[in-house]
Order: sequence, then structure tokens, then C-alpha cells
Amino acid sequence: MRRALGKDAVIGAVLLAALLIFVLAPLLTVIVWAFADQWRPPALWPTQWGVRYWHILLARADVVQSLTISLFISLVVTIVAALICLPAAYAFARLDFPGRKLFLLSFIAVNAFPRFALYVSIAIVFLSVGLIGTITGVVLIQLVFSLLFMIWIPTAAFRGVDRSIEEAARDVGASHLTVLVRITLPQVAPAIGAALLLTFMNAFYEVDGALLIGVPTVRTMPIVMLSLINGQIIVQYGAVLSVMLWVPSLVLLLLTRRMFDSRTFAAGLGV
Amino acid sequence: MTTAASAGGLRQGRIEHPRRSLFRDRGWAVGLALIAPAFLLMVVLIFAPAVLSLAGTFFPAGAAGASLANYEHFFGDALSVLNLVFTVWTTLATLLVLLVVGLVVAVYLRFSQSRLVAAIQVLSLFPLFVPGIVISFALIRFLGPTGLVPSILKAIGITGYQTPYLHASGAVIGLVWENIPLTVMLLTAGLSQVSNRAIEAARDVGANAVQIFIHIVLPPLTRSIAVVCCLNFLQIFGSFTVPYILGPAAPQMMSIFMQRTFTEVHLADAAETQAAITFLVCLIAGVVYSAIVFRDSAAKGTLAA
Amino acid sequence: MVALSLTSVSRRFGNVHAVDNFSLDVATGEFVCLLGPSGCGKSTALRMIAGFETPDAGDIAIDGDSTIHVPPNRRATSMVFQSHALWSHMTVFGNIAFGLKLRRLPRATVAAEVTDALTLVGLTGMEKRYPGQLSGGQQQRVALARSLVLKPKILLLDEPFSSLDAHLRVRLRDELKAIQRRLKLTTIFVTHDQEEALTLADRIVVMNRGTIEQVGAPSEVYDLPRTLFAASFIGSMNLLQARLVDGQLAAGPIRIAIDADIDVALAGATELHLAIRPEDVSVEPGFDVADAAGTVERVIKLGAVRLAVIDLGDGHRLKVQDMGRAAFGERATVAVHIGRLLVYRNGAEPLEIVRARAAPAGRRTERPHAVGTR
Repeated sequence: MRRALGKDAVIGAVLLAALLIFVLAPLLTVIVWAFADQWRPPALWPTQWGVRYWHILLARADVVQSLTISLFISLVVTIVAALICLPAAYAFARLDFPGRKLFLLSFIAVNAFPRFALYVSIAIVFLSVGLIGTITGVVLIQLVFSLLFMIWIPTAAFRGVDRSIEEAARDVGASHLTVLVRITLPQVAPAIGAALLLTFMNAFYEVDGALLIGVPTVRTMPIVMLSLINGQIIVQYGAVLSVMLWVPSLVLLLLTRRMFDSRTFAAGLGV
Repeated sequence: MTTAASAGGLRQGRIEHPRRSLFRDRGWAVGLALIAPAFLLMVVLIFAPAVLSLAGTFFPAGAAGASLANYEHFFGDALSVLNLVFTVWTTLATLLVLLVVGLVVAVYLRFSQSRLVAAIQVLSLFPLFVPGIVISFALIRFLGPTGLVPSILKAIGITGYQTPYLHASGAVIGLVWENIPLTVMLLTAGLSQVSNRAIEAARDVGANAVQIFIHIVLPPLTRSIAVVCCLNFLQIFGSFTVPYILGPAAPQMMSIFMQRTFTEVHLADAAETQAAITFLVCLIAGVVYSAIVFRDSAAKGTLAA
Repeated sequence: MVALSLTSVSRRFGNVHAVDNFSLDVATGEFVCLLGPSGCGKSTALRMIAGFETPDAGDIAIDGDSTIHVPPNRRATSMVFQSHALWSHMTVFGNIAFGLKLRRLPRATVAAEVTDALTLVGLTGMEKRYPGQLSGGQQQRVALARSLVLKPKILLLDEPFSSLDAHLRVRLRDELKAIQRRLKLTTIFVTHDQEEALTLADRIVVMNRGTIEQVGAPSEVYDLPRTLFAASFIGSMNLLQARLVDGQLAAGPIRIAIDADIDVALAGATELHLAIRPEDVSVEPGFDVADAAGTVERVIKLGAVRLAVIDLGDGHRLKVQDMGRAAFGERATVAVHIGRLLVYRNGAEPLEIVRARAAPAGRRTERPHAVGTR
């Protein structure tokens, strides 16, 4: 048995090393670049450290403006998605109505199509109604593709609430509304919080739709970053934007790790 | 025990109560009302445009009526066909790499007893939390001509490094990176259906590791593998950001082709046709994989979804 | 004073009658157990009292006032659920105080009541804990406190101890009974465990398939089960199919002589069953005046009491329980005498037959007599 364990650990170490190199190393490289005032490849290390490019970028109007626009759009998408989807999730989880399974399936089915092709179809329609280059257009396209997550996860969460705790609340004198607010919602809050966070992040990082619909008038932060990557001599711009764009969400995710129960994700699919 | 007629409100005999609950009787209407905004949004913004767009491809601008002119134009154009073939090729290549990598990781996670399992699991799910644009840029800084990898290779004396950046391989690497989590999760779920008991029983009757893998572990996996292939095909075929940044300018993947056709060349008809063809290819892929799964389950008598 | 009254209550689910024509009066301060196998309708009946189900027919009245149209949050009932149903996002204090806060009681009163309730169930000082940090027994105690703190007119319990291990179950049972006695609380307790019912109840309602088989005090239900089902469900019972042969009751190799009037009373029945308590059978090595003979298959000594299984041949067995005075071991040949038995006519209407035996000197013998029961 000990021999087997040794082989096991060796394979594991190799896998771990491979994953560390493949998954983490590129990201770490970018983080180093973000704080490199001077790094001239093929040098293995920056020659000067600092935050010079942070200052430069944050002074640029287009960067600051894109940050504002991105935050605004993501917030609007998240709020509207919540308003539309949470009641729908409750209905899917608790109420019985004709075609319930079919409707739920339709949301999942939408995501089975090649997404960019759908974006193009939508873009063509937006073109004819003049929504290209508008914030509304970008909000709409990001909103419609966040519907699945905002329905699937909360539905699973509502389903997971044990009916007997609601009955117990009724038993001690709570009205239906009190039960909903004081008992049901607190129980589903973690899962719904996770869904909201994911929706916000997906909207914030979204590139495809924003590029197709928003450009050139509405430039979200990822779009600005795109323009600072392709054919850009100053590498640090992209690196700083990467860190600005990504690290806060990573920190947030780590802090709220407990909300992401694998059961919540798995249970959502019509079970 | 007879019913005692005591003071106040007790009635004799059977009292019938017809099922009465306003909410219960009309609950269905409330349900439909609650899902209506989301569903309608989806219909108006996705289904309707998709259908309209698809239908529109059969009515080319400036033509008398229905015709396949758009499609003839597409398939007559060498560049368009090349892009289509390139997309299929890239997708299949990515799929293959993903399957191999995913299987290795998933099998290890399932059968290993070592303490490294947790770390490997976290790492294999890590890409879920990284946006496509960030990893694309990161891969340029890692694998690009002035990236860390060529720098290290030069430092240890290895020359002749060919960067995958702006090649098909670059797109494949990036796409594999993005889709590892989903693949690993699905394969892990499939593997969890293989019980340790089943494996012990096989070992008990004399099977070695390879035989166990082929006859005990793999069969329940075929459904998961089919699902992985199907979902990944759809995802990869329609992906944009990673191939846009890391892939070649020509030939290009269909999504990039569509974006350029729409935004830069402003040919709505052509872009629609490209979208329709993308739908079609993915539909065929979906049908193929559904057929495999169906046939596989029917053969094994496990048609339960 | 009748605290709770159910009159001809019925509840259907589709074609199945979960509860059928159920009538019961419960006096104030009485502890009533609804006892029966799963699916017998006991939980449905309880939920109708609580208000979570509405009867299709019949009436339910608390203190004389009909409560059919009163929703569960306004009834004077309080329920302890099988799965304790505590609110995991609230502390123990929060769980117990919730109902009081809904009634807009002042903060000081709420705190005092919660403290009292916790003391009552033996959990003083646990206010700040969360349900997830408590053991199963503690969780169930909190659930009980949550119900008691509202001073309900009727306390309802739905198999509250079934998920706890045996030791804990017995302890909580005793505590519950003590609390109930102290508060003089009208209590309805649902269980499938007949030992639990026999221990706790002032009266037991034996249910089967939605209907009441028997209502009575534990001793009554134990001594004189009214139906064959009740006989088989309560305690341990030997059940044998019987027929009348030459003026005798014959069940397997057992022959029991009966008087002519008993013979007449039994003649009309299509099916006869004998129900014999193990403690009503006496066994002696060797042959004597006996109802049957057999070999001892197994002997189990349980402290003061001895259990034995006697094989009478042809697949017939008798379970016997006695004090172990007559000495015999396994595989011994023994004679069996039945001191008391019930004869069921078509699964109901039992006749009790008490019989004399050849007694040691100094004990009075009595002629065999029958007591018809209704």
C-alpha cells in the first residue's frame, strides 16, 4: 500500500506542477508586469518596480470613464435581472403552473446555442431599432444572457428550503408575508447573493456583446483594455488594467467562498 | 366515542367543505405572471431576433423573394469556407486536448488518496473566476514572443521558440484554459457514479488497472464524455474573446468573422448568413451527440435522463 | 371540559381517504396519543388540527369554537415537528422569541419568557447558540420550548423523538410528560411506537388506514384490543387462526374446550382468530393437563423475565413470557396451558376467555367463564 501511495503522490505532484504552470503562472506574470516600471524581456525580472503606469492609466479620461460606465451598466444589469428573475425563480420553485418544466427548459436551451451567433442576430435587430452604440443596448444584451444564472441558482435555493420551517413559522403566528421575509429569504440569501455576485461579474467582464453593440460610443472597461492590448507597445497598460479589472472580484470571491456550494449549482438543473 | 354536542358552534352530522382557496385555485395564473417578464424578455431579445435573422437569410436584400443566394454566396467564397473549416478544426482540436486533460485530472481526483487532491481541485476550477480578456492577455505575456516562457528558455539555452500567439495553437491553448473547469466538473460528476465497490469487485475477480479502467470506469463515463463534448463544442465554436486576441487574423473563427463582417464591413446579410450557418453546424453537433447518448443509454437500458 | 373536538373529519387525497370519519373529544389537560403504522392518517389528522390541512368534511372545534376557517397562524395550537424545523439563521433565543415578537410583546417580557422556556426544557444559558451547533436532543428541546413559550391551548407533537437514539428518546419522553403534567397542557402526540404510546398517553387512539380502530386508556387498549389489528399492533401477541371443531376451539394443535353459550356466540363468524398474550401462557416440562404440547425452540433470559418460543409442530409457534420458575431448557418437551385468550370474530368483536388451571394447593380455582366485550 505504501508503494501505491508513493506513486499516487508523485503523479499528483506532477499534475499539480503542470496546473500551477498552466493555470497560475500566466496570471502571476501579469501581476508582476502591473507593478513593473521597467521590464525588458528577455530579462526574467523587472528592472524597476513601481506603480507608474497605475498613475498614468488612472489619469486617462477614457479609462476612468470606462470604469464608470462598466460599473453603471453592471449594476443596472444586476438589479434589473434580480427584479425580473427572483420572482420567476420563486414561481418555478414553489408554484405549479402549466408548462412549468418547459419554460424552465427554455431558459437552459437558450444557452445551448452558439452565443456569438445569437449576439449577431440580436445586433442586426438592434441596428434597425437604433440601439447600436447605446447604453440601453449593452444593458439589454448583457441582461438577457444573465437570465439563466439568475433563475437557475435562486430556483434551486428556493427549492432547498424545508417546508416544515415555514409551517413552524405559520404555527407560531406569522402571516404568509412574514414567513417570506423573515424565514424564506434569509435561508436563500447566500445562494442568491452568489447569483447576484456572479451576474455582476459576468456583466462587468463581458466583451463580446459590448464590442458588437456598444462600440464606438459606449466603451466598457474590457473594451478599453482590448484597445490597449492589440498592437500595444506599452505592456504595462494591459497588465494594470488586468489587475484593476480582475483582482477585486477575486478577493470578493474568496471572501464569499462559502456561498458557492456545489450543491446549489448542481441542483438547479430541473431536479 | 360519540360526538358530544357541547355549548357553542358544534354541528351534528357531516359537513362538506368544497376545496376552497383562492390562491390555490388561481395559483397557476400567479405563476405564469411571475415568470412572464423574464420569459418575454428572452422571447423578444433572443428567440424573435434569432428566428427573424434565420428567416431573413432566405430573403436576400434586393432579391425578388425566397432564395438561397446568401448561402450560395457564402459557400462560393473561398475565404468564408476556409473560416468555417478552420473553426471546426480548432474546435475539435480544443475538444480533444480538453478531453485528455480533463480525464487525467478527473480520474486522479476520483482515485487519489493524497493530500494534493484539494489543491488540484482548486486549480482546475480556478479559470472559472478569470475573465476571458484577462487570461488572453496573460497568455500573451506568458507565451508570446516577449513572454516569460521564451525568456526562460533563452536563459537556459533553448532557442527556436515558436510562439503560439497569433496562431491557431494560441487560440487552442486559450480555449482549453477557459474550458477546463466545466470539463473537469462534468467528468468528476460522471466518475462519482462509479462506486469503489464496483472496482473492488472487479479487482476481486482478477482485473488489472487497465482492464478496470476500460470495463468498469469508462462505460459509465461515456455519457459524461458525450455531454462534455457537446457542451464544449457549442461553447468553443461560438467563443469570441480568446480567439480574437490570441488567434490568427486569417483564417479566423466564425465569431470573429461575423464581428468583422458586421462592424467593419457593415454587411448585415452576410453576417446573418454566417450566424445561421453557425447555428446549423452546432445543431448538427448537438444531434450527433444526442444520438450517441440515446443509443448508448438504450443499449444499456438506462434511458432515464 | 372538552378542549378539542373533532367531528366526523375526513380528508381525501385523490381517491385515497387519508382520514375517514374521524371523531374524537379531548378533555382539557389530557394527553392523547394517535398511534398507528405509517400511512394510517395520524399525521394528517394532526395537521388538520394545526390548520395545515383543511378537512373535506366534518368539523374541528377548540374550546367549543369551530376552527375550520382559522388559518394556522391564528389558531391556539402549537406544533413540534418531526424534523424540529428550527430556523437555522436565528439563534436559540431568536427561534423561541420569534412568536412572541410577532405578538408585539415588550422586549423585557420576551426575554423573561424565553429564559423561562429554556429553563423548562433544561437548556438554560443556550440563548446565543445556533441550531447547527446543537445536538439532536437539544434541537428538539428548543423546538419544544418554542411551542411552549406561546402558552398554547393545545400542544401538538408529530413523532418528535423518532430521529433520536433510544436512550435519548426515553429521557425526553419522561421530561415531556413531566412538563405536560405540570402545565396541565392538552396534548396530542403522534407516534408509530406503541411503547411510547403506552408510556405517555392518558388515552390512546389506535388508527389504521384513516379510521379509528380503538380509543382507550393504555391498560384498556392493552388488555382488550377491540380489533385484530389493534391486538397485533399493541405489545407482543400470539395470533392464530382458529375454527370450531366438536365444541372446541382448534388452532393448529391447540385444543380449548368451551361452554355451549360461547360456542353459539362464535358460530356465526366466518373467521375466527385467537389472540394470546405471551404472559398468559404457562409452560411446564412434561405432560400435564394441557392445551397443547411442544418442544422448546429458544429460551431468552431477560433478567427477571424469561421469554421462550415453543414449537407446537406443523409450523405453529407460541411466544411465552413467564418468571422462569419452572425449569426447562431448549429442546425440552413441554406442555402449554393458556390462561387467557381473546377470540376475534371476523377481525373484531373479541370474546375474552379466562381459564382455570390445575393450581397448586392453597389457590382458589374458578370455573372457565367468558366475558363478552363490546
